[in-house]
Amino acid sequence: MLLQGFYNGLSAGSIYVMIALGLALVFSIMRILQFAHGEIYMLGAYVAYYAYAQAGLNFFAALIVSGIALAAVGVFLEKYMFRRLRANVEPALLAAIGLSLILQNAAVIAFSNYTKYIQVPAWLSGVVMLGGAGIPSLRLIIAIIGLVLVIALVLIIRLTKVGRAMVAISQDSDAAALHGINVNRISSLSMAIGCAMAAIAGGLMGALLGLSPYMGTFALTKAIAVIILGGIGSIPGAILGGFIIGLLDNLLPLYTNTTIAAIAGFSVIIIILLIRPRGLLGRE
Amino acid sequence: MRLGRNFGWLIVIVVAFLIPLLLHDSQYFLSVFVMCLINVLLTSSLRSTASTGQVSLGIMAFMGIGAFTSALLMMKLSFPIWAALPLAGLAAMAVAAVIGFPFVRVTGLYFAMVTLFFCEVIRLILTQWRTMTGGSTGIVNIPSVGTISVLGLNINFSHILPYSYFALFVTVVSLLILYRIDRSHLGTHFASIGQDESVAESIGINVIWFKVFSFCIGCFFAGVAGSLYAHFLTVLYPDVFSIFPSIYILIYMVAGGRKSFIGPILGAIILTVIPELFLSLKTYQPFIYVAFLYIVLYSMPGGLVTLPGIIGARFATMRQARLRND
Repeated sequence: MLLQGFYNGLSAGSIYVMIALGLALVFSIMRILQFAHGEIYMLGAYVAYYAYAQAGLNFFAALIVSGIALAAVGVFLEKYMFRRLRANVEPALLAAIGLSLILQNAAVIAFSNYTKYIQVPAWLSGVVMLGGAGIPSLRLIIAIIGLVLVIALVLIIRLTKVGRAMVAISQDSDAAALHGINVNRISSLSMAIGCAMAAIAGGLMGALLGLSPYMGTFALTKAIAVIILGGIGSIPGAILGGFIIGLLDNLLPLYTNTTIAAIAGFSVIIIILLIRPRGLLGRE
Repeated sequence: MRLGRNFGWLIVIVVAFLIPLLLHDSQYFLSVFVMCLINVLLTSSLRSTASTGQVSLGIMAFMGIGAFTSALLMMKLSFPIWAALPLAGLAAMAVAAVIGFPFVRVTGLYFAMVTLFFCEVIRLILTQWRTMTGGSTGIVNIPSVGTISVLGLNINFSHILPYSYFALFVTVVSLLILYRIDRSHLGTHFASIGQDESVAESIGINVIWFKVFSFCIGCFFAGVAGSLYAHFLTVLYPDVFSIFPSIYILIYMVAGGRKSFIGPILGAIILTVIPELFLSLKTYQPFIYVAFLYIVLYSMPGGLVTLPGIIGARFATMRQARLRND
């Protein structure tokens, strides 16, 4: 039972990390809490659904299509909505909140309220036995994809020029601009990466649990909790925080019910915000 | 007190008291009226909290606390409404006081996030506390306000027309109290903290205490609004008091205009009434809200309440241009 919970926690953590990294990336570079990030995740799920279930693409191709589509949406949003509100915390938050409402309600109107389900390809619907407990193949794939994407992102940030530019902007965007870094272009790129990751996470989660226009709210609150736990502005923190919360979310309900586990989880986050706002590994 | 300006408000209040009579044959519009009053009260409470610069994304938590407190006091302990209502406010205020001290120490975005999570926590606690709140299905058959006998006439407040007067009375009294606070020394302290905390602190204002105070005052009236809501609907369930309704109240406040006292009231009235006037647009209600929000964000930062001022200024410049051309 415990091992089962552990495996579920790993795959959940994988999803949380994917969503949270996108949010953290956008926040550290554009200083905007992208409240509509959850809706990007939700739209990613729907795009993947239509690409796979309706247009008949290969499941993974559908995920990639979804990622590209939402990355384009992200670039569009950055250019026309968030660019002029950069570093202006309150109007940016309100604009993002408005965007989230628009996207969520557009989805309710376009996709109807009912949960849709994705029928995953046969080879993904089995269960793999690992050390005494079974992990559904889909969850295993989710964990693997998550790991791959996270490693890729970390490598990009550490090793490429673009990645170092991102770090520079997150530390001091004016100084970075003075060094010749094109802040607009990097912001676009980070928004694209963030949205793509959220979209892929959405597609995977949609396949696992089904899609609903309201799935974004859950994703957003989890992502915010992860970056608070891990520390705002810290990528390793988001990774650590994502897995911790993923594991807690799946291990705690074994001992109490889901509601109490959720209460405990949120209360911990509130306490962290009050006592140590910079989280586990945060810098600011 | 200058008679001129206050006389205008007296007229407004008298007109407000006439509205239920105008609407008396439409149950539906009377309910809209009551919900509008509740929203006005909630938005003004939020504004009170926000006057010290703390924007709360979780006001529904306190409304929920007030609603359940009032309902349970009347149902289980048979408290009369004139005790249950203030006690509901006090319950919400007590919670606000307890969490206020740690909460106000964090600012801006962090405060928003903390209140967001707190709203979720309260909703989950209300869902979990099945013995008191009936869990996710909530409680039903909440007594309304009861009946009173005036001049031989029996007024039963569980009918909507008398209830709308009750709600109107409570709202007007609450707004008067909030207004007097806003205009008082206390209100000036709040405004100075809202404008610049460090300057306020440097002139000797105990920022933490006053921030907690403004938070508590706001939450008190949110609790009162919850009580009004509970006895109006006579059913309650925890999911009503969640994040997105809190966000709507925030939108009402921002769209109306944060700085002034009337702004949030105006925002609440306009944004509650407009979707109801055009019933066919009901599904598009959030879009209407966001449209107003964006119009205010991008071109009227002071809120809708500044619109007359902007139009007036535009006319003045037009007149000046015309005079110069002659």
